[in-house]
Amino acid sequence: MFGLRLLWRDWRGGELGILASAIVIAVAIVTGISLFAERLQQGIVAQSNNFLAADRVLQASAPVNPEWLAHAQSMGLQQAQILGFPTMVYTGNDVDAAMQFTSVKAVSDSYPLRGELNVSTEAFGAVTQSTDSPSPGEVWLDPRLLPLMDLEVGNTVFVGEAELTVSQIIVTEPDAGGSFYGLGPRVLMNISDIPATNIVQPGSRVSYRYLFAGETLELDNYGKWLEDKLLPSQKWLGLADVQPQISRSLERAEQFLLLAGALGVGLAGIAIALAARRYSERHYDYVAMMKSLGATSIRIMTIYSSNLLLLAVIATIVGSGLGWLIQEVFINVLQDYFEVTEVPSISLRPFVVGAVTALVCLTSFALPPLISLQGASPLRVLRRDLDRSGVSSAFTYGTGVLGIAVLMYWYSGNLVLTLAVLAGVGMTFAIVGVLAWYLLQGSAKVGMQAGSSWRLALASMRRRGFQNAVQAVIFSLAIMLLLLLALVRSSLIEEWQIQLPEGTPNHFLVNIAKRDVTAVEKLLSDNKMSGEPIYPMVRGRLVTVNQEAIKTWSEKTDPTVEGSVDREMSLTWSDVKPEDNLITDGKWWSVGSSAAEVSIEAELANRMEVGLGDNLSFLVGSESLNVTITSIRELDWESMKPNFYMIFPPGLLEQYPATYMTSFHLPSAEKRFLNQFIKRFPTITVIEMDAVINQIRSIINQISSAVELVLGLIIISGLLVLVASVQASLDSRFQESAILRTLGAKRQLVLGSLAIEFSALGLLAGFLAAFSAELSVFGLQEYLLDMDYVPHPWVWVVGPIVGAVLIGTAGYVTCRKVVNTPPVEVLRDL
Amino acid sequence: MIIAKNLEKNVDTSEGQLCILKGIDLEIKHGETVAIVGSSGSGKSTLLGLLAGLDVPSHGAIFLDGEDITLLTEDERAEVRARLVGFVFQSFQLLPSLTALENVMLPAELNGVSGARALAEKYLGRVGLDHRFNHYPRQLSGGEQQRVALARAFASQPKILFADEPTGNLDSTTGSHIIDLLFDLNREEGATLVLVTHEQRLADRCQHSIKLDAGEIVADDLKSVTAADSSITKDDQ
Ligand SMILES: Nc1ncnc2c1ncn2[C@@H]1O[C@H](COP(=O)(O)OP(=O)(O)O)[C@@H](O)[C@H]1O
Ligand SMILES: [Mg+2]
Repeated sequence: MFGLRLLWRDWRGGELGILASAIVIAVAIVTGISLFAERLQQGIVAQSNNFLAADRVLQASAPVNPEWLAHAQSMGLQQAQILGFPTMVYTGNDVDAAMQFTSVKAVSDSYPLRGELNVSTEAFGAVTQSTDSPSPGEVWLDPRLLPLMDLEVGNTVFVGEAELTVSQIIVTEPDAGGSFYGLGPRVLMNISDIPATNIVQPGSRVSYRYLFAGETLELDNYGKWLEDKLLPSQKWLGLADVQPQISRSLERAEQFLLLAGALGVGLAGIAIALAARRYSERHYDYVAMMKSLGATSIRIMTIYSSNLLLLAVIATIVGSGLGWLIQEVFINVLQDYFEVTEVPSISLRPFVVGAVTALVCLTSFALPPLISLQGASPLRVLRRDLDRSGVSSAFTYGTGVLGIAVLMYWYSGNLVLTLAVLAGVGMTFAIVGVLAWYLLQGSAKVGMQAGSSWRLALASMRRRGFQNAVQAVIFSLAIMLLLLLALVRSSLIEEWQIQLPEGTPNHFLVNIAKRDVTAVEKLLSDNKMSGEPIYPMVRGRLVTVNQEAIKTWSEKTDPTVEGSVDREMSLTWSDVKPEDNLITDGKWWSVGSSAAEVSIEAELANRMEVGLGDNLSFLVGSESLNVTITSIRELDWESMKPNFYMIFPPGLLEQYPATYMTSFHLPSAEKRFLNQFIKRFPTITVIEMDAVINQIRSIINQISSAVELVLGLIIISGLLVLVASVQASLDSRFQESAILRTLGAKRQLVLGSLAIEFSALGLLAGFLAAFSAELSVFGLQEYLLDMDYVPHPWVWVVGPIVGAVLIGTAGYVTCRKVVNTPPVEVLRDL
Repeated sequence: MIIAKNLEKNVDTSEGQLCILKGIDLEIKHGETVAIVGSSGSGKSTLLGLLAGLDVPSHGAIFLDGEDITLLTEDERAEVRARLVGFVFQSFQLLPSLTALENVMLPAELNGVSGARALAEKYLGRVGLDHRFNHYPRQLSGGEQQRVALARAFASQPKILFADEPTGNLDSTTGSHIIDLLFDLNREEGATLVLVTHEQRLADRCQHSIKLDAGEIVADDLKSVTAADSSITKDDQ
């Protein structure tokens, strides 16, 4: 009870305010960021899963065991089915009927499980959104089929033997990305009409997709259950398999958010440590007094630790509420960017994280100085000059760093990230501490000739040399964390934007006949479509590696290799290396070469465990082709450009029948160009990737703005640390200023010297922060984010300036109170 | 009540060991008023600290109410203090974030005594601060602060009251008011008073005076009880 009263009196006296708000901030930041990250992730994943029209997909080349689907049913997963196959579609049975090669997608009624179709009743007419699929007897068509086959909505077409009515025109499908359903223009029909078509027979080339949606946990469990039942031809796919760009961006964004959260905890931890130190220093006399009045050390510990616990509980509740608010604000701000309107469900985890953070921060940062309180000698009531030997900085900061390390690791589950940040922090402490000490010593000498405010400031800096060095370290730690985050953020966003720059090819042309190559090239360049080179493609199969059958070879190396190479591959030839491919080993052949060699893609070579000098043999048509690997290429599979595993010199493949392919960028306003193109080259297949690219861009934009917002939040907490740190030095400044002013110093002089002192400290701290931020970014990007490090000259300018301005201002504003308090009041308090 | 035997106190300094007190033997009886006098730096506060159990001697024994406190741990001594001892200090030692009333309530609250508030109000009234209950130390003058400290000391109803230069920070008029109050209260409460001072005038009002010089007792005179009594009686009137 007495403890409670003491707590209340401390609160009333303003003693607890800083400590309490530091804990509240720590909890709010951690809870807010966790909540936000969770919701962002859920929202984006849901949105990205539109790419699959589901959360997970089971892909197969034959119908799967019905028991599997029954099991999914029993687990409460939603399901849909798709059959895909290429076929000719006719407008009638007569000789002059129009016909067109198409890719048919037959879907069950529940399709799509995620996302929606954009449909219209007129070619290029008004678009409506639909989560329905064609009813039995209906067919929905790619708009290009209407002019090609001279059709209108309401007409009928034949798919095999089934006659179906055209009821909608498909503008976009959620799962259009890639070429899973074949390459021709889309025909969407109901799966129940399939028997009537009489096309799908055992052995016909049909691909089967089973779509699933539900809780992530259930889906993962189901995936695990399926795992060892799957045949090599069956695949369980998630977003990462289908849209690696988005999945990678999300992953990095998540890591960034975690990093930001961890840094936020770190900053708040510093604030707590500072506040707790100040609190315990102020309570030193309290404890001495209580002891002289007969309180035992156990009594004192009980009082203080239960107070601390109570404080933690209250701060956790308030902080959680605040965290919720922060996250609400973020979501509202992001609403404009978010297409997801429904609020995803929220787990308890962020709140648990917040509470644990409060507890760990308190025990590691606040408990040590409070423990040292019990060592206060009761003799202090007689001898005020007795030193406060109990409060050991090394111990306080030691346990603090340990606490942060534990929290970060728990929070991120990532050891490398934790170590990188800790190394950065450790370095700041060590190097910066020593540097700050020496620079402060030096600056005092330099300043002696300067004006009086300067002299006062520098004398004061020198007098409080150690204290200031500690403060400079804390300042630079805060600035460093901010710079670090800003740096990581800009390279992340930059990289995301580089991934799909403006003008990225968004349409592929495949199946170009040799006779059409020059005409296509001319048509593209006449219409100013920036295209990639046109590559020839010959189908071939890899049969042996170093005279060993691919099957036995892959058993020895990586068994999954067989699945990916034991089918027809697209082989190409070229005189010149594709522009954005990078030779990592060996060298490219000279122009016009017809030597028996091949250039292989690096990832595949790695998986197959082959290298320069290894021998590969291919079966092309009925002939076998024996080549030696002479170069290994690295390439970006996500570049939306024609990419090949195997490239041969021109002389080797030229005699085989080839088709050609390319990709080009078509601005969205010129979509109608495709009609013209298809009319002119009806046999060429156009694969439209523009919708996918746009969706990827929009998701990346969302992630980017989320990252910016979180950065903003961390900057705010960084500022709070600065203010807490300035305030921690206020007590002694109050006294000094009062004494100086009783000695006749003008307010302006004292204030000026304080401003100079803080700005100089800030400048120093900013400079040191730039140094350690660069080091940490280097570590993070090289080892964690898997990005290339480039130096950032601007931080060396921005760091010191930001430091000087921020800390100078914070110091000036906080210290105005110091000079505005009449000296008598301060002196009476002594 | 208080017996010290062959006390010695050494401290370690950067220039080696320093002997602050040596060969101190004394005996203070129940209800006695004792002055410890000596010039500044002679070791008075150190001796007071030892007698009150705030510190331990390097050698020797101290008996408070028959118990050798040098054999106790710090926490056990704290209990002895809570039971027996009250303090008044030169620098008042009021806690700045507590009001006058709360400062006086502190000892009773710490020891879990019920009725702390009523007790505190009574003693604050007794020192003439009825109307200043909710004022903070910084809003009070030095004399008023010392009166709060007196109230606090007596509120715990100690058997022994230690006072270390209670008037050292006050002007002489205020100082003598405080001293009058101290002796009055002490007489009413019947406590043993150990008063450290460098003022002979003050020492004269005590029954017993011990003079220290450079850490040694140079004089210990048990004065005539009548002289001391008459001085108190005279002051009372
Ligand atoms: N812990 C200590 N370390 C060093 N010197 C001390 C310590 N405690 C007391 N002294 C010294 O012992 C002497 C006696 O101090 P004190 O008892 O406070 O004297 P008084 O109260 O009579 O003025 C002084 O010279 C003081 O400086
Ligand atoms: Mg003294």
